[in-house]
Amino acid sequence: MGIVSDIERQLGRLRAREAQDGMPELRTSTMTHLVWCPPEWRAKARATLAGLLERHPARTIFLIPDPAGEPGIRARVELKDFELQGLSREVLSEVIELRLGGSATSHPASVVLPLLVSDLPVFCRWRGEPGWTSPELAEIAGVTDRLVVDSSEWRDPGSGYGRLVELFGRVAVSDIAFSRTLPWRRRLAELWPRIGSIERLRVEGPRADAELIAGWLRSRLKREVALTRRNAAAVTAIWVDGETVRSPGDGLSASELLSGELDQFGRDPVYEAAVRAALPTAG
Amino acid sequence: MSAKETANPLLEGLQLRRRPEACAVVIFGASGDLTKRKLIPALYALAYRKLLPERFAIVGVARSEQSSAQFAAAMKKAVREHARDPFRQDVWDTLAAGMRYVGTSFDDAEGEDRVGEALEEIDAQRGTGGNRLYYLAVPPQAFTAAVAEIGERRAREGWVRLIVEKPFGHDLASALELNELLHRWFREDEIFRIDHYLGKETVQNMLALRFANGIFEPIWNRQFIDHVQITVAESMGIEGRAGFYESAGAIRDIFQNHLLQLLALTAMEPPIDFTADSVRNEKVKVLKSMHTPGPKSVVRGQYGAGFVEGIEVPAYREEKDVDPGSLTETYIAAKLYVDNWRWADTPFYVRAGKRLARRETTIAIQFQRAPHPPFEAIAGDGLRPNVLLIHVQPDEGVSLAIGAKVPGAGMTIRTVHMDFLYGGAFRTGLPEAYERLILDAMLGDATLFTREDEVEEQWKLVDAINGAWQRDRPSFPNYASGTWGPGAADELIHRDNRSWRRH
Repeated sequence: MGIVSDIERQLGRLRAREAQDGMPELRTSTMTHLVWCPPEWRAKARATLAGLLERHPARTIFLIPDPAGEPGIRARVELKDFELQGLSREVLSEVIELRLGGSATSHPASVVLPLLVSDLPVFCRWRGEPGWTSPELAEIAGVTDRLVVDSSEWRDPGSGYGRLVELFGRVAVSDIAFSRTLPWRRRLAELWPRIGSIERLRVEGPRADAELIAGWLRSRLKREVALTRRNAAAVTAIWVDGETVRSPGDGLSASELLSGELDQFGRDPVYEAAVRAALPTAG
Repeated sequence: MSAKETANPLLEGLQLRRRPEACAVVIFGASGDLTKRKLIPALYALAYRKLLPERFAIVGVARSEQSSAQFAAAMKKAVREHARDPFRQDVWDTLAAGMRYVGTSFDDAEGEDRVGEALEEIDAQRGTGGNRLYYLAVPPQAFTAAVAEIGERRAREGWVRLIVEKPFGHDLASALELNELLHRWFREDEIFRIDHYLGKETVQNMLALRFANGIFEPIWNRQFIDHVQITVAESMGIEGRAGFYESAGAIRDIFQNHLLQLLALTAMEPPIDFTADSVRNEKVKVLKSMHTPGPKSVVRGQYGAGFVEGIEVPAYREEKDVDPGSLTETYIAAKLYVDNWRWADTPFYVRAGKRLARRETTIAIQFQRAPHPPFEAIAGDGLRPNVLLIHVQPDEGVSLAIGAKVPGAGMTIRTVHMDFLYGGAFRTGLPEAYERLILDAMLGDATLFTREDEVEEQWKLVDAINGAWQRDRPSFPNYASGTWGPGAADELIHRDNRSWRRH
């Protein structure tokens, strides 16, 4: 029996078991949600999923690459049920975890394609830095409508952006690091028209976030903006030409940020321009 | 969007939520139930989602005397009891910081001066720039005085908008008078006649369903639709509102506004865009196309005693402050026609009532039967027509009844439902209608509010029905609480060889 049939059989069995609890189930999906998730990211990815499925019922497929492991694919299937408040019904979301061993790591599309929910968008959250020339990235980009990365997870965002722009023509890309800066960008937008003549930007925060804010300002304002940065786990302060920008307050959780990305369809020209302007050559 | 914002290149792609300009919301009737149960919780929900402007204030105006601190404490309690979001002190603090209360009767010039002074003070302290959104949650008898006071004192700077609660008049003549009164001080685009049904997500989803899906609109007409049923059923009684209900009845309370608006949204032509005038132009065309139903096409009823969800409840005439010989209807059913190219000869059966078997608002589109079903002789429970059912409340969503083969030998067909439940697909929690509508009014977007000509058309129909009712004396009560209404309503639809939807 093939792996896909095995997964379908496991899902059928689980649904039948769920049906015995007497509560009518709805199998509602709004998308297929792929998660490319090297083992070291698994715990974080599962935690994010916990806060996400309630808002975005989906078939979630974790792809856990293990190139050094035993060749082949091992699948684990589970159903997450969420009771609908006041309706005596529950929504079932399917979570499929696929461990891709050996050469299977490089060819995920053959197992992903038959598991996609027909006619619904496919989002892939790529954990960590993609292998830019890897066949797995090429294959996933080929079956995905939107690739969601977080460039703050990359060792060197600056050089990563150079590779990321090559993907823009093939798949819509969004970046949690850029989304995370949204409240700050709104604050900066409020400084218009004064900010139109900005020369220096200082950011206290992660490198990716800082680079993207600077790239965004350069691309939107069509002018050079010099960036200096002090490291911090999140953006905690910004200065424009030495003047402090008022903090926008608390940011969003990881689940909320990913949830926001999953509501976006199509390419994001503002983000793409910010990435291009964040490239070291552009700076 | 101002010229300054248009020129701001940083705004593109910022997913800017629709955030209104700085303003003060002034609630007339602030000590009432609506304020506690709906308005303040809605404002809290907007604050919770950071949808209110940063420079914002709430001024409560009502007859009862209390301090601003007492008013704020009462509103805090209301938020804890009625808000859909958990209580957060920081969110509350942002609301409470700009909260004031002025005790005055609405026709007291000196009291109204104090409202004006409070607003000027707020403009100075909170930077609300003279922008005012007045919410008139006042009884009809106080309406004229409140409008006049607001109109005479409208600020010279900033915008003024007025949200007007129902009932908007009690017949066409009074509605025309109210429109004239309002227009003495306010332009039509400053007047927001609220029908909270239009703020419901599922009602707006009707537009999405029809105009965002290519499969429905081609069959949304007399050729494919046999008839439409619209039900606005309540299981509760009049809940102590005898004063209002005795003079309104089901026809003014539900039929004149909610029911006819649901019908207009169901029957309207596609608007060219989703701007206020485009949508309302199409709705008003439907209302103008409706011809007056004959006496046999309208049924009225009044509930007697009975059991609702296992609890014994009194008859309408036994409710507190209701005339023991009252002829007020608590139920109305009607067969209506929209006389236009799309809907000619397609009946719209509508019904609304109190103390019915359960609370339910639905729009059921019943399609024509399959023209030549080859399975008829062997069908299980009879071949039923397809029904597209829009659940407005509760269980918000859409379901489609289709015939499917029962597994096994033979060709037995059974009706099954394909469900789309809002709560199942979009688990963000549906916003309360008032949140959407108050926010829209702050933004000046009147799409989901009723325009003067819509109100007038609605009253014309109601007046025609009421006129016929004046000529006879109904035998009330004529349905038991906890049932689906009077037998005459069943006869109304059975005469056409149809029946009300099974529940």
